[in-house]
Amino acid sequence: MTSQVEPLYAINDLVIDLYAATVSVRAVDGVSLHVMPGETVAIVGESGSGKTVSTLGPLGLLPEGVTVDVRGTAKAGGKDLVGMASARLSQMRGAYFGVIFQDPISALNPMLKVGPQLAEQARRFCGLSHEAARKEAVSLLARSGIPDPEDRYNRYPHEMSGGMLQRAMIALALAARPKVLIADEPTTALDATVQAQILELIRQIQRDNDIGVILITHDIGAVASVADRVVVLYAGQVAEEGSVLDVLTSPVHPYTRGLLASVPDFRAEDRVEAHEIPGLPPNQIKLEPGCRFAERCEHVEPQCRVERPPLRTIAAPGTPHRVACPVVIRREGIAVQ
Amino acid sequence: MTSKLKQIKDWPWLVLSPVVIFVLIGIFAPWIMQYNPAAQNYDATLQGPSWQHWFGTDYLGRDIFSRIVGGARISLVAMAIVLVAALAIGVTIGSFAGYVGGRVELVLISVIDIALALPSLVIALALIGILGTGYWSMITALTLAWWANYARMSRAVVTAELQQPYIEAARVMGASHIWIFVRHILPHVLGLVVVYASADAGALVLAIATLSFLGLGVAPPTPEWGQMLVDGMSYIEEYPRLVILPGMALTLVVVSFNLLGEAFALQKVPRPVRGGLLRKRRRARAEEEQARQAAERKAASA
Amino acid sequence: MSEKPAIEVKDLKVHFATRAGTSVRAVDGIDLVIPNGSFHGIVGESGCGKTTLARTIVGLQKETAGQVVIGGRDRAEWMKSDRKSFSRKVQFVFQDPLGSMSRRQNIYQTLEEPLLIHGFGSAEKRRNRIQELLDLVALSSTVLDRLPRSLSGGQRQRVSIARALALNPSILVCDEPLSALDVSIRAQIVNLFTSLQKRLGLTIVIVAHDLAVVREVCSDVTVMYLGRVAEEGITRPLFREPAHPYSQALLSAVPSANPLIETTRKRIILPGDPPSPSNPPSGCRFHTRCPVAFEKCGAEVPSLREAPHGGKAACHLATSNKRPIVD
Repeated sequence: MTSQVEPLYAINDLVIDLYAATVSVRAVDGVSLHVMPGETVAIVGESGSGKTVSTLGPLGLLPEGVTVDVRGTAKAGGKDLVGMASARLSQMRGAYFGVIFQDPISALNPMLKVGPQLAEQARRFCGLSHEAARKEAVSLLARSGIPDPEDRYNRYPHEMSGGMLQRAMIALALAARPKVLIADEPTTALDATVQAQILELIRQIQRDNDIGVILITHDIGAVASVADRVVVLYAGQVAEEGSVLDVLTSPVHPYTRGLLASVPDFRAEDRVEAHEIPGLPPNQIKLEPGCRFAERCEHVEPQCRVERPPLRTIAAPGTPHRVACPVVIRREGIAVQ
Repeated sequence: MTSKLKQIKDWPWLVLSPVVIFVLIGIFAPWIMQYNPAAQNYDATLQGPSWQHWFGTDYLGRDIFSRIVGGARISLVAMAIVLVAALAIGVTIGSFAGYVGGRVELVLISVIDIALALPSLVIALALIGILGTGYWSMITALTLAWWANYARMSRAVVTAELQQPYIEAARVMGASHIWIFVRHILPHVLGLVVVYASADAGALVLAIATLSFLGLGVAPPTPEWGQMLVDGMSYIEEYPRLVILPGMALTLVVVSFNLLGEAFALQKVPRPVRGGLLRKRRRARAEEEQARQAAERKAASA
Repeated sequence: MSEKPAIEVKDLKVHFATRAGTSVRAVDGIDLVIPNGSFHGIVGESGCGKTTLARTIVGLQKETAGQVVIGGRDRAEWMKSDRKSFSRKVQFVFQDPLGSMSRRQNIYQTLEEPLLIHGFGSAEKRRNRIQELLDLVALSSTVLDRLPRSLSGGQRQRVSIARALALNPSILVCDEPLSALDVSIRAQIVNLFTSLQKRLGLTIVIVAHDLAVVREVCSDVTVMYLGRVAEEGITRPLFREPAHPYSQALLSAVPSANPLIETTRKRIILPGDPPSPSNPPSGCRFHTRCPVAFEKCGAEVPSLREAPHGGKAACHLATSNKRPIVD
């Protein structure tokens, strides 16, 4: 076990309440997760499952116009981000974390050329000189797989295609040499052939820099292709987590099973009707006891509606495989550690 | 229907109430006025406030309270006529330009732009120069000075809404142009333009007073705030209330319309929850959490 | 009538003029026959013209040249003479269900609108029809007085499908109907489409970039690249042995949910981005990115010819018993 190595970013028992004009939403309800150096963790869940809020919330990257209450801890580099003053948080955000957003065009300033934006980041957070920062920016563009980086350095964001912009965005996220790269749905807006390129790039960056990568996505294919570990969130709680191989090939939680079955297996020979999870996710406005998935679950038992299912570690050498469903564990006789 | 009623309760009554009071005073002026605002009484000129004359009397012995209330009615009516007329003209021209597009739009936009480039009061003054002074020429002049703003906004809304996929959805369903315009576009245009007009109403009341002040609008002896200001000017040293009272009425109306317009405009912007409401919501959340924990503990021990 | 195909597209061209004076050739010479009762997929990357093609079929976009024939009738002519009867024949489902509904109308008003436009019976009859539609798409009647914004993505798409079905069309054209939805909800909508097609005997054309879904539901498929048809045929055999190098790359890019397969399988990573449709390459449009291109590809436009899977492919290297293999 690599227990000596500290995680780069560790969220512990995080609770995030959002107060909007008319509703209070418990977006994150007791989530713990972490990323180790050289590891890619995928956070999987549907929209509203809290996958983005739990990861970016402690960094202060949250929607405008709502009041946010955060409880729990989010440790990065020996410091707790929860309750940190906003100036220090933004310094931390720039220097320690690199964030890739779903929509690259909104993250780059449309009025400035791409290259200087990268150089500015490199200068601010790595203390490089003007000339060194420029060189670094060109090299970042090159490393992000952008052909002819000298020329692209002087281009505006609108002069680049979606795939190129996403690469520039990745270059920007890497400019401050972060320890943790958070990619929020990095390929959702891209075409299939470009998606493959971008995922390959993220994999390669991870290998070359030995950083921690958190991939927030709902695309199971992307998870299978780049992640080491996966955390499945449902309605603000962890449903299941473990190595990608364990979770994707032998899922235990009924939600994970349903989710995987609803993704058509592209390479299967015979045609099977897409499995559907009935109903809709809960709205998370009211805090109710019990398992959040109970309403849609086919294995539901009376206790599911009153008792919050504990996250149990099931037989797994190496990366622990944890599941929040005592019912399936019991019914299928899965050994608990 | 019940949902409509619920919405009324949620309105910003604090900013709405001064405007409502002004409108009510305007409507019920004949019943509120104690005296005929034009009636002169040489036995009681320039009196101070008293039970008979709440705000005192002016140099012709007219009751100032009645004159201010009557002035509210005049302002309200003139403003309403101008607004309705300007809205009708502006919305029609602007929507037509936006919906039809092409060369027609270009021509209409140029007309709108020219109208916008000149300050509305200057246009009004020029038109009064042509039409001559008087109540109706003031109304006409102000209408012609005011429509362009609404035309510009209407056109912008129409152009933006036409880009929306739901308009295409209506086309696919076989809807005619008139159907699409009346059912889908017009409500959006009116929604925005009326909000803007509510803020504009204050400026219009001021413009009416200004023209009357210059002697180009409402003619004496009809009570009108701008005119009361002129009348009072000669007595400003000895009897400042002759100027201050109509001035204050005017200021209050303009400010309250501006506040109303701003409240409308900001209504849609999401704001973080703060203060007492936030405390209440946090407490509710904490209670809910405790209840949940208790329920789960009970279940665990059972 | 029934022998006539539901949709015929004949040498269709749709060009857009740009401000710079050039023209974007979104659709540039497409022939397509979609028989009655088929479930047809149109796939390709963004900018390949698939959405423009779908929009031109339903008349949201005017053709620059060529013709769209619906049930044996010229579409342009039909729409000119009787828009309403055309819209009872063909309906369109938009990519963004929220945007395709007025934000001011509740669901009842949204579903009632097509009925009102077509003067469908009394208020009572309309109410019954709306209930029928809700049953058809498995929505509860509690949604009726809500606004589109307050529904979930899946519910919205159900409403927009219900609205498209309100006039009993025989052809449904859908532009990326699943891309705005969550994965688990996608399966619900996919199953809804297949069951609707069976129950109502619809002809469904679906534009998609999610090839896994297309494989699941579509009987036939057309692969587009830069405004042209690259390959077409019956979905399963075509996906099993795609003849066009572009289709091969596109299919290999689809990730698998199984990490054992995913981390070991071979994928074709194409160099660069698709060229701009305003200045498409000469000859075969794919030759600039094609791993197996040779001189002829840059000079001569390949015609659609028989391919081993029984459909057609536009590649100089494909014949009825031979296909190029990219690895």
